[in-house]
Amino acid sequence: MTGFPTEATAFPPGFTVEVFAAAFEASPTPMVVTDPRRDDNPIVWANGAFLGLTGYGRDELYGHNCRRLQGPATDRTTLNRLREAIGQGRAFECELLNYRKDGTPFWNGMTVNPVRDAAGEILYFFSAQADMTDKHRLEAAMRDANGALEREVGERTADLRFALEQKTALLHEVDHRVKNNLQVISSLMLLKARRTPQGEARDALQAMADRIGALSTAHRMLYQEGDAARFEFREFADDLIADLAAAHGPGSAHGPCAARVESEMEPLALPAAMAAPLALLLHELAGNALRHAFPRERAGRVRVSARRSGESLELAIEDDGIGLTAGPPNPTGFGRMLVEMVVRQLRGTIAWSEAEPGTRVAIRVPLPADGLR
Amino acid sequence: MPEVSPAAGDSPAAGESPPAGEGLRILVVEDEVLIALELECLLEDLGHVSVGVASASAEAIALGQRTAPDVALVDIHLIDGPTGIEVARALSADPRTTVVFMTANAKRIPPDFAGAVGVIAKPYSERTVASALDYVARCRSGQSGDVPSGETLDGFCLAPRAG
Repeated sequence: MTGFPTEATAFPPGFTVEVFAAAFEASPTPMVVTDPRRDDNPIVWANGAFLGLTGYGRDELYGHNCRRLQGPATDRTTLNRLREAIGQGRAFECELLNYRKDGTPFWNGMTVNPVRDAAGEILYFFSAQADMTDKHRLEAAMRDANGALEREVGERTADLRFALEQKTALLHEVDHRVKNNLQVISSLMLLKARRTPQGEARDALQAMADRIGALSTAHRMLYQEGDAARFEFREFADDLIADLAAAHGPGSAHGPCAARVESEMEPLALPAAMAAPLALLLHELAGNALRHAFPRERAGRVRVSARRSGESLELAIEDDGIGLTAGPPNPTGFGRMLVEMVVRQLRGTIAWSEAEPGTRVAIRVPLPADGLR
Repeated sequence: MPEVSPAAGDSPAAGESPPAGEGLRILVVEDEVLIALELECLLEDLGHVSVGVASASAEAIALGQRTAPDVALVDIHLIDGPTGIEVARALSADPRTTVVFMTANAKRIPPDFAGAVGVIAKPYSERTVASALDYVARCRSGQSGDVPSGETLDGFCLAPRAG
């Protein structure tokens, strides 16, 4: 045992090379030694565990290169790196697909390291191995499971997306039908109004057509943006007011009105369910002011304001016209009844007061907690 | 503070004279007879002339080619299905005709608007129809529209400008 590093060979008495050989032979870890100084780096020793792992006998291995264990699916890149490490005398670790004598493949997890003498010369390569087939099988199973899971998630997502598309298409279809029907109803009313002689009946038809118009504006503004649950109150109120102003302009069915309409609104995203009642409310109150507060082309203004105050919507419709008491008594009071019913539906309160000059109507409607954003 | 004066002369719904000189010759493509009939009355009130009503695509294209209207108001859903798009494409091929969609189904309009200049959303108000036609009349008489492309005019939305 000369020529090896002295501290590595300082054995206790009686600890002979035979003891080593017996220990290695009995180890459950497969081991193999090759001799790089001989042609083609052949196997010169293997233990029982290695024979058990590979299925070869010693006579079939000794004198042969380890490539005897390789086969068609052995990874060439790993092999090249292994050969390069051996050529450079470096230690190397890898997992390589090897083949037993009977042709069955197994995953061979190996460490390869050079064995040097005291001068540093490489005498042998020593390799310990472990059968990693179970680990690879587990990994493959997990990959399959993950793949299956991903497929399942993918399928379910596709199902959900399809269901959502269907629902969106249905919403659009219903939305389209509602709008079209409102247009038909409106046209029907206006056609009849056109064919009715001037007077109370015609005015009533025109007024109903205008109310349907206000509801139509509410529906036109709904579902315009992505959020079907909300609508922007300011845009919608400005639109309504512009319609009212046009309806009371010169040559209009209601006769000219010299008052102008002003609006002062905060941007407010309100629940869609409030759109139709608020449309009726605004239409009725602002329309009423334009119709009755400014007789004989009296000039003035109607001011509509809306703001959020705490958990409520505060709406005010003010005019500087002739005032409540001075106006002609409304024969049916239908408009006012409508307004009070709608306010009740919205669980709000309404207060009519003389503004001197004119009239002020203040409405407070509670907003749902999440309607405040 | 936005301010709208009903007394001002810029409210075409209430205009006593036809907008921008002569009234427009208008083809109505609409399958709901009540809407079509009322729309014709409204157009007349606004000082325009209806050249006819068509409720199916083939009829609309034939009538459009025969009458070469100034404007075609085209609904998307007609008796033979959502064929208003191809009607718009066919009618806008004639440079004499300006096509405006008039639909409750604006989501079906393709990105290029099939040659139409804009869309009036249903349910429309008389004011919207009046101001949209006024805009078209101004464009046709060479005055540039004062509304930037893609903007909404209370229910009238212009097509994105090509190019």
